[in-house]
Amino acid sequence: MKDLVMETRVDTQTIKIKAEKAQVFYGTNHAIKDVDVEIMDKTVTAFIGPSGCGKSTFLRCLNRMNDTIPSCRVEGSITLDGDDIYDARVDPVQLRAKVGMVFQKPNPFPKSIYDNVAYGPKIHGLTRTKAELDEVVESCLRKAALWNEVKDRLHSPGTGLSGGQQQRLCIARAIATSPEVLLMDEPCSALDPIATAQVEELIDELRSQFSVVIVTHSMQQAARVSQRTAFFHLGNLVEFGETGQIFTNPKDPRTESYITGRIG
Amino acid sequence: MITEQHILSAFDRDLESVQAMIMKMGGLVEAALSDAAAALETQDEALAEQVRKGDAAIDALEESVNAECARLIALRGPIAGDLRTVLTVMKIATALERSGDYAKNLAKRALVLGQLAPIPGAAGAIRRLARQVGLLLKDALDAFIARDAGLAEDVRQRDLEVDQMYNALFREFLTFMMEDPRNITACMHLHFIAKNIERVGDHATTIAEQVIYLTTGTLPGGDRPKADLTVEGQ
Repeated sequence: MKDLVMETRVDTQTIKIKAEKAQVFYGTNHAIKDVDVEIMDKTVTAFIGPSGCGKSTFLRCLNRMNDTIPSCRVEGSITLDGDDIYDARVDPVQLRAKVGMVFQKPNPFPKSIYDNVAYGPKIHGLTRTKAELDEVVESCLRKAALWNEVKDRLHSPGTGLSGGQQQRLCIARAIATSPEVLLMDEPCSALDPIATAQVEELIDELRSQFSVVIVTHSMQQAARVSQRTAFFHLGNLVEFGETGQIFTNPKDPRTESYITGRIG
Repeated sequence: MITEQHILSAFDRDLESVQAMIMKMGGLVEAALSDAAAALETQDEALAEQVRKGDAAIDALEESVNAECARLIALRGPIAGDLRTVLTVMKIATALERSGDYAKNLAKRALVLGQLAPIPGAAGAIRRLARQVGLLLKDALDAFIARDAGLAEDVRQRDLEVDQMYNALFREFLTFMMEDPRNITACMHLHFIAKNIERVGDHATTIAEQVIYLTTGTLPGGDRPKADLTVEGQ
């Protein structure tokens, strides 16, 4: 019986990202309050919560995407493999190569499919020869379950693909720099159910290599793809636990109200 | 327990409708049990016949509950407390359907016992046992509607008294059979009746345990008190 429920279990106890007393301010607006969270390696962690609860803000803290917002201030500690990512010596560009991101709307570069994937490895100098780069592009497109659909038109524009294909191209692009963590901000909200299922299947496969953090508005999606779920409400992390527990027996009444579709 | 309404009010109506079906089933089963026991005591053949025929309505309700729950799972995707409500409703429906079968069996045996020489005091004792079990069933269902884990735990503990009443009847019937072998047929029927009512008590306990699962998220741990000594060969 144990084997049948393995899939829902967290495979590792290695902590990849750890936040302690994390605070985010937009000017005077205190958007994230005292968030303590441990993101496990090789695990899909879902962030859920109503709009404006801070889940995307917090996600963006994990690869310093909030640095680009002048009024934004982050306090507390966020570490990746034990190293403070807000340390002055950390290069945000290098950090983002390690902590990749996929956004809500597919946003391929206005370049060829090939160049979309090759861009990251090129600027980070991860490959030395054209053959090596070809190999990386193929393997990333294969991992993103897109290779068979695009292998004959690698040099046509990425923007010419369907929405679902574009999103998988963005995932291929995000994994091309061999990240250790993949952040996904509502990656399926612009996709149809088939493309959503393909991306979800992909997330489950990526879990064997990366730690994945996904923000989603779909409870069912969080339940389907994640092993751990965090519920955010009004800037607080209300509850964080094993996904099965959150969806069968949440401890906090606010979590229950939200996930069961009640006013809360 | 969450008492707020769903944003989607049709979800609330669906959940309320399956719970209303459970309460209707519970009412029918309680009535069947007490009517069957009364029919036995007063030798009322018409009432016994009515209980036998009435079981079909209980079975039909169980089917409706199952169909409605399947629909609710498919269309509403219940989770957390809503999911536990649906799972609990299905288990309670099964427990009530089985209890209804026992009441029907009691009614059948009441008709047979009407043709046999009466065993003094037996019908009254059976009726007291049925009344006690009927109360457990009622309290278990009240605990379900009120989401009252305390009352549910009380039902769990009180099943002990039912076990003790059954043990006493078991010994009594044994004595009658030893005294006069002509009592054996009647006493065997009476013993099956007593055993079946005791089983209804166990179903009431199952319902109570489901209420504890529904309200707390975990089934009660540890053994509940048991006093069915008849299997220990004293």
